[in-house]
Amino acid sequence: MTSNISRRNVLAGLGATAGLLATPHIARAQASAGRVVVIGGGFGGATAARYVKLFSPETDVVLVERDATYVTCPFSNYVLGGFRDLSSITHRRDPLRQRYGVRLVRGEATAVDTNARSVKLKDGASLPYDRLVVAPGIELNYAGVPGWSEQAANTVMPHAWKAGPQTALLRRQLEAMADGGTVIIAPPANPFRCPPGPYERVSMIAWYLKNHKPKSKILVLDAKDAFSKQGLFMAGWESQYPGMVTWIAGKDGGKVESVDPRGMTVTAGFGKEKGAVINVIPPQTAGRIALDAGLAEQNGWCAVDPASFASRKAQNVYVLGDASIAGAMPKSGTAANSQAKVVAANIAASLRGAAAPAAVYHNTCYSLVTPEYGISVTDTYRPGPQGVAVVPNSGGVSPAQANAAQRKAEANYTMGWYAGIIADTFG
Amino acid sequence: MSFRIHILAAALVLTAGSAAAQQRIATLDDTALAAQACNVCHGSQSYLSPTMPPIRGVDAATLYTALIELKTDKRPSTIMGRISRGYSDEQLKALADYLSKN
Repeated sequence: MTSNISRRNVLAGLGATAGLLATPHIARAQASAGRVVVIGGGFGGATAARYVKLFSPETDVVLVERDATYVTCPFSNYVLGGFRDLSSITHRRDPLRQRYGVRLVRGEATAVDTNARSVKLKDGASLPYDRLVVAPGIELNYAGVPGWSEQAANTVMPHAWKAGPQTALLRRQLEAMADGGTVIIAPPANPFRCPPGPYERVSMIAWYLKNHKPKSKILVLDAKDAFSKQGLFMAGWESQYPGMVTWIAGKDGGKVESVDPRGMTVTAGFGKEKGAVINVIPPQTAGRIALDAGLAEQNGWCAVDPASFASRKAQNVYVLGDASIAGAMPKSGTAANSQAKVVAANIAASLRGAAAPAAVYHNTCYSLVTPEYGISVTDTYRPGPQGVAVVPNSGGVSPAQANAAQRKAEANYTMGWYAGIIADTFG
Repeated sequence: MSFRIHILAAALVLTAGSAAAQQRIATLDDTALAAQACNVCHGSQSYLSPTMPPIRGVDAATLYTALIELKTDKRPSTIMGRISRGYSDEQLKALADYLSKN
């Protein structure tokens, strides 16, 4: 039955998808091996697709993704810092097809019928599934910052919280600003994608300004009172960029109340500030398809079983990565990659009627303070009664006191981590 | 020092065999799943990291000794001390055995 995703339907609905034509033998997968549809080809979705194939090569895996290539949010701050270019963080998914037999379907999932077990695409095609993985990442809430809009983001006040053209726009603005200007960065309240990301961004913009526009300042207007790796970041800013960065906590009036894209001003609790460059990082929810499929809670994120990342809302559906409520795990690429392996193992086991192995999760987030000064947070997690929880007496952040060689080693490992996770995710 | 030599030898073996991508994870148990976490930094049968030492195919006793020394901070590290404390000694032993053979 499910083997009828019908090449016919897909071919009719999607046009002659190159991957499909190149791998006709995969389209004839045995019905008993099951079909897995994955929505979203980022760190979570691509890893899930690859590991279902590794654990269960006979399973038919279809990866639905809107965009031709993937520009990673990790390392996009280094584009802003001026020492990576966008092409070096842009990746193709072809190895998933060529080496592992994942079928790549270019399209946008617009609806999920969890009773009929079918995903509808924008062009009308439908993809039946035995198991569905929903890994759509985040949706930005443009209405979440009064005065701001998608149009403002695309012209004068970029978010750069999905990497690509937005990253390039923010970089151009930094290049165009005069020495002596103020860069305003406005991070959102929790939860949001990449908790250390705004503060690594502060560091990388400071690196660029220090070397090119040293009279400039960075003002961080935060909705929060505390942030990831805060002690390490603030010590790093103090030692590497003395006097350049001012961070204002939400409780001290840092929370942005409105922005004026025409006047290039930001109004926060403590008053109004003019910025030469203004980076608004808005509140977020799970990606649109997760909301439309009815998989999200009132708060806009998707509740899951901490032992498997199975949806709390629908049978045979797994939600992972940024879209999920993952307990103690941050919304990070490494976390999504790790959750995807647990999901893939659960799917492979369930399709063969076996018990799933015990879930253990891992996260490592490296951040650069300078290109030669790295810091990290890493944790191991297991499912617990309150959700995914850190294994006691393990993990944590880099030591507060460390010599330059240790910081350099972590910067070096940052590069290794990136190369490794790209290989582990996209094959 | 001997650890270095072992991992270098392992690197050579892996390089020789790295043309074909890993196609299947044969076992699906607690240890096999947990071990996949290592791939992100340390690579796998199909990928060698430019910065992290390879661990696949390294002698199990060598790996286990390294993990215990990292866990107890006898061997200095950046993040491996923090990570290895997330596992019991028995789990580390099982991981070392798995990684040595897979």
